[in-house]
Amino acid sequence: MFIEIIEVIISGLLNGSVYALMAIGLALVYGVTKAFNFAYGSFYTMGGYFAWTLLVSLGIKGGYYTVFLTAIPFLFVVGYFLEKILISPLRKRSDWQMKAMMLTLGLSLFLDIGYISVFGPRLKSLPDIVEGTLTIGPFVFMNQDVVIFILSITGLLFFAWVLNNTRVGMAVQAVAQNPIGAQIVGIPKDRVFAATFAISTIMVGIGGILLSQKNFVNPQASTGIMIKAWVITAFGGMGSIKGSLYAALIIGMLEAFVGYYLGMIHIEIAVLTLLLITLAFRPQGLMGRE
Amino acid sequence: MNAKSMVTILAVTYGFLGILPLFLGDSSIYMRILTMILIWSVVASCWDLIMGYAGIFSFGQVAFYVIGAYSSAILSVSLNVTPIVSIFMAGTITAIIGVIIGLPCLKLAGPYIALVTFAFQLALEPFLKGPLGKAIGSGGSRGIISVPPIHIFGMDFSSSELVPYFYLTLVLTLICSAVIVVILKSHWGTAFLALKDSEDFAASLGVSAFKYKLLVFAVTSFITGLFGALYVHYVGILSTRMLSMEVFTVLLIMIVVGGIGQYPGVVLGAVVTVTMNELLRPMGIYRLLIMGGMVVVIVLLLPDGVTGLIRKFSVFRMTKKRTEQLKHRNETHESSP
Repeated sequence: MFIEIIEVIISGLLNGSVYALMAIGLALVYGVTKAFNFAYGSFYTMGGYFAWTLLVSLGIKGGYYTVFLTAIPFLFVVGYFLEKILISPLRKRSDWQMKAMMLTLGLSLFLDIGYISVFGPRLKSLPDIVEGTLTIGPFVFMNQDVVIFILSITGLLFFAWVLNNTRVGMAVQAVAQNPIGAQIVGIPKDRVFAATFAISTIMVGIGGILLSQKNFVNPQASTGIMIKAWVITAFGGMGSIKGSLYAALIIGMLEAFVGYYLGMIHIEIAVLTLLLITLAFRPQGLMGRE
Repeated sequence: MNAKSMVTILAVTYGFLGILPLFLGDSSIYMRILTMILIWSVVASCWDLIMGYAGIFSFGQVAFYVIGAYSSAILSVSLNVTPIVSIFMAGTITAIIGVIIGLPCLKLAGPYIALVTFAFQLALEPFLKGPLGKAIGSGGSRGIISVPPIHIFGMDFSSSELVPYFYLTLVLTLICSAVIVVILKSHWGTAFLALKDSEDFAASLGVSAFKYKLLVFAVTSFITGLFGALYVHYVGILSTRMLSMEVFTVLLIMIVVGGIGQYPGVVLGAVVTVTMNELLRPMGIYRLLIMGGMVVVIVLLLPDGVTGLIRKFSVFRMTKKRTEQLKHRNETHESSP
């Protein structure tokens, strides 16, 4: 009984760490650009298909090292130019937020169906990142899970470092606080918007590679992931990075417990109930500002 | 747009659609398309009213449609309620659920509402398929198979009687469109306009944003639920497939094509989209690819949809006419002294 609970907590932490990586990307992009990206989940799937193309279809050397090294620039370029071409022309209008939502919804359908028509409707499996298990006392961990946990935490720490210690990160923070003020002191606002969008694409894409090698590359996974990332961001407070981190861990835990004790089918209902109750009492989310 | 041109456009569009069965009444394919145009045009109009005018980013329109359909189906199958009564009961149930969803939502900022309502749609499917849904009679993942047709004045309105069903839908469509026009042109519409321009200023003049938004939520969910119920008695079967992204996107395209907040535009959008959706059907999976790409292209190139295009064209023509008039006047001025 006790061991069971610990195991559920560990699986919750594991889910939560990857969710944190994805949700923080979204919190960042919303906090900075105020664009509501509905195609976010499609970039998750894009990460999975990218890894599949390199590893299985092309069979390149170097395994996951090569995948990560090439995925980061690839996702950056995709994110950067999508923002430049699709989102930034909309900014001129007063109701651009609604337009951006609709556009990204269309984009997400386009990408998801695009994956199906290029790669076929069947699930693709990726090779394991590492094999074997790790035994500590009474607990048995999959090595794969340990690597996912370590990589997503490393990713988060690296991201926090970039945001707080580099010029680019500070520019991003300045634009988030006051776009006009940032522009006055010479920060290229439009380029920062595009770069932030690109960084969030990288974060969700890496999350996609990490989780797809555990589960499958599934063209229909996008909507679920997108809504999960959004629920976590809203729960934590839109645009609040710290809030998203806590929210991701709480939602990861909740999913693990509900999935274990009540069954997988109740997960979405439980998550939505938690979100509704939280928003009813705190409309700005856990750590959001008014 | 003023009330007169609104009513004219609506009358011309629905009048044209109403005449078509005289020529196409024999063909079941065309009749099906025409009926679906009517149903979707009302559902999309409600969405436009919520999103384009009231400024609420509600993405729960498909969910309300499905709730209406399920309520009426469950009422008529499990509880043996006569369909014509159950349709209106379904509308009321949907309106109540809409208010329950709306109450917490309307206190939230824009994007949160989109998220909560969209998550509501996604949670509806596991709910209907799971044990809770089965308990209220949703039939689980199998759905509800034998929904009885509508039966009034000794006449059956169902998928085997396409022409009468079409006219029944047309009557309800006209009533609901009239309700929408009245709402837009009453002080509600003015209140929305004021709230959209400056919420703080409108509130200081005593316009209650919350009250108006909740009312519009209730009215639109009632109409949407009503048409969901109408649809289910027409097709006779119901499953959670209605909640797919495809249906949602098709509805979205109608608004994007027609223009957001350009009211009768969305009706034209429904006509174009449903027709195109049927024309593209032989293309299989590429149909959705084209539809998704279309949303992106139209939002980028035609931000106000077809209505914006027409307006731009008519403004262009008007200015041309005006310059000619001015030119003419100047010439007469010069020649007179």
